Amino acid sequence: MLPNRSRTSVLVFLLPPLLLYCAAVLFPILQSLFLSFFSWNGISEMEFVGLENYVRMLTADDIFWRSFFNALLYLAICLVLQLGGALLVASLLTSLRRGRELIKTLYLLPAVISTVAIAFLFVRIYSIDPVGLLNQLLHWVGLGSLERAWLSDVNTVLAAVSAPEGWRFTGLYMLIIYAALIAVPKELEEAAVLDGASKWTLFTKIRFPYIRPVWITTTIMATTYGLRGFDIPYLMTNGGPGQSSELLTTYMYKTAFTSTDFGYASTISVFIVIECLVAVGLILFMLKRKADS
Amino acid sequence: MKKLLRAAAVAAAAALALTACGGGGAATDPSNVSPTGEIKPREISWLLSRPADGAVINIMKKLADDYAKDHPGFALNLITTPDRPSYIQKLETLAAANKLPELFDTDATPFAQELAKQGKMVEADKLLKSLDVYDDYRPGALDYQRFDDGSLYMIPFQFELEFIWYNKALFEKAGVSVPKSLDDVPAMCTALRNAGITPIAIDGQDQWPLERYVAYQPFREAGPDFVQKLKKGEASFADDAGQKTVNWMADLGKAQCFQEGFSAQGYSDAQNQFTSGQAAMYNIGTWELPSLATDKLNSEVRNDIDFFTLPTTEGSVTSANEFVSPSGIGMAVNSKTYDPLVSDFLKFALEKYPAEYAATGALSPTTNVQTAIPANATPLYKKALETANTLGDKQAMPWDTQLDPTTNGRLQQELVLLVQGNITPEQFTKTMDDAIKQNAPKFFK
Repeated sequence: MLPNRSRTSVLVFLLPPLLLYCAAVLFPILQSLFLSFFSWNGISEMEFVGLENYVRMLTADDIFWRSFFNALLYLAICLVLQLGGALLVASLLTSLRRGRELIKTLYLLPAVISTVAIAFLFVRIYSIDPVGLLNQLLHWVGLGSLERAWLSDVNTVLAAVSAPEGWRFTGLYMLIIYAALIAVPKELEEAAVLDGASKWTLFTKIRFPYIRPVWITTTIMATTYGLRGFDIPYLMTNGGPGQSSELLTTYMYKTAFTSTDFGYASTISVFIVIECLVAVGLILFMLKRKADS
Repeated sequence: MKKLLRAAAVAAAAALALTACGGGGAATDPSNVSPTGEIKPREISWLLSRPADGAVINIMKKLADDYAKDHPGFALNLITTPDRPSYIQKLETLAAANKLPELFDTDATPFAQELAKQGKMVEADKLLKSLDVYDDYRPGALDYQRFDDGSLYMIPFQFELEFIWYNKALFEKAGVSVPKSLDDVPAMCTALRNAGITPIAIDGQDQWPLERYVAYQPFREAGPDFVQKLKKGEASFADDAGQKTVNWMADLGKAQCFQEGFSAQGYSDAQNQFTSGQAAMYNIGTWELPSLATDKLNSEVRNDIDFFTLPTTEGSVTSANEFVSPSGIGMAVNSKTYDPLVSDFLKFALEKYPAEYAATGALSPTTNVQTAIPANATPLYKKALETANTLGDKQAMPWDTQLDPTTNGRLQQELVLLVQGNITPEQFTKTMDDAIKQNAPKFFK
């Protein structure tokens, strides 16, 4: 227990960051909420329109719903690659005796490369004319029939822009999960092995329950990052062809800065904030229920 | 809870106060082009969207330095953002914050017209007339900068002609000749494809190149008025001229006119395909003369390259010497910061600019100077420049400067789908007409 005086000083030290947080995060959110009730193009008079923007967004905007479902699929692909990939690699790493550091570094490398470089790299990889790496590989292994312009095909483009984002952060989450895995007490594992537990049982009954708190944190991080995904799809395809790789974030950005419809863009951003909060709430709820049962 | 509500109310009120501050600002009289008073040298800024080491910037830098010699304390701060979408965002954000610099670039877009209506830009025709240079300008160069009502608020610094460049050897190999009509193009593409040649190289990533094509048929069929009516919802894609272009674009797609995966390929990808002899045609303007009509061009194709202008069609209302001839993004003068200094500098710079610009081998927006042909030019360079002398009166406007930004964005997206065959001409027509109906009223009140 801290003495009284130092508790006050802790509060004094906590207050400036809190104020900064309010100014930088809460204030813009409130301002968006405020703007979402107006029609405003930035230079004209602001016109109060009540809930009109919300009605338009939810009932009359086909691109909004398209980009919402695109964003969900984008999220799903990112989560599978980031969390699934990270868990797999981290588990394999723990059973490795040598070269762990090297592999860890190699996996982490994409997370430190600039986004623009990654976007250009993948545009080249997916290219058909001149033939890019992916199509060349397919050709070599005899799957030439699958060769295509990945970023121009409306059926493949969403997966194609999700993969670089997933690939990019797999290493980062792997590092976090790996740190949690090596903290699992060895005596627990040894006792389970003595009782005849298989590797799978060991993982599902000992290791995973032990790292659950870390798993929850990484899931929340990956989900919120995924829902806010913007740069790679924007740079690679700008949402196209058509609206095939349009996400809520890219759509909001275009509405604000290309269409100069700041009121409606604020409405979409309010939706994104709510969507992120709901997603985090859902994750906590599901994982808690699982832990309780 | 009460406290929270009160806090929210305060925040909302503060937000309102902030935005209110941003919206106001006293505009001076935009028609007063000859401000009186003393010339007080200071630093002025030009927010522009032109290549960082291009002729316009280099010349204006030099002229500003010359001017500063007689006016110590003067400086011209050039802030360039060559990437157009990023530039437009920057401009619109600054306009919203009422922080536009002394000079700024813009096309004759609906957004710019809104700024003009609010008196934020100096009337350029009056300005040019007061500087006694108005009559030097090519009428076409000024017309390109005008709004629909004929008013002029931007000053051009370039003059360009857009051609369809082609590779004679590849045409011969496929047994096709220069198209007499736009309607011949799909069949040409099929013949070229059958000979294993990519018919047209296009930069799909930047979207405006494909949008040029959709403007061609209506310009021939109904003239330059079509897009002016279309953008306001007075004409539609369901009209004859509209249907003709929609079906033609779908035909171009069916005949595989553009390279595979074009939507993800950039400006230099497309140009490389043409200059390396893989693609037979390439639609680009005279700003590329230094790379297409000099010895910088790949020697293997240098003797095979030629160009033709936009083909006409049967019953065309515009003639063969009328096509896309833009004078580039224009420069607007901020009326709020317009003072004797800005006026005096513009007088100095605009008088000297054309001669300097023509000396670089580019077409000046004025007719009082002769363009110098570079020493390493191929005969095509001269031919291209001479085409400017025989231009007709009407010009095809690029649609991206005409439509409201939301409809424009939708059109660029839907065009790719139409050409790729992902949607039918009927779906395209309906989507676009709905988009215009929904978005146009906000911009063209």
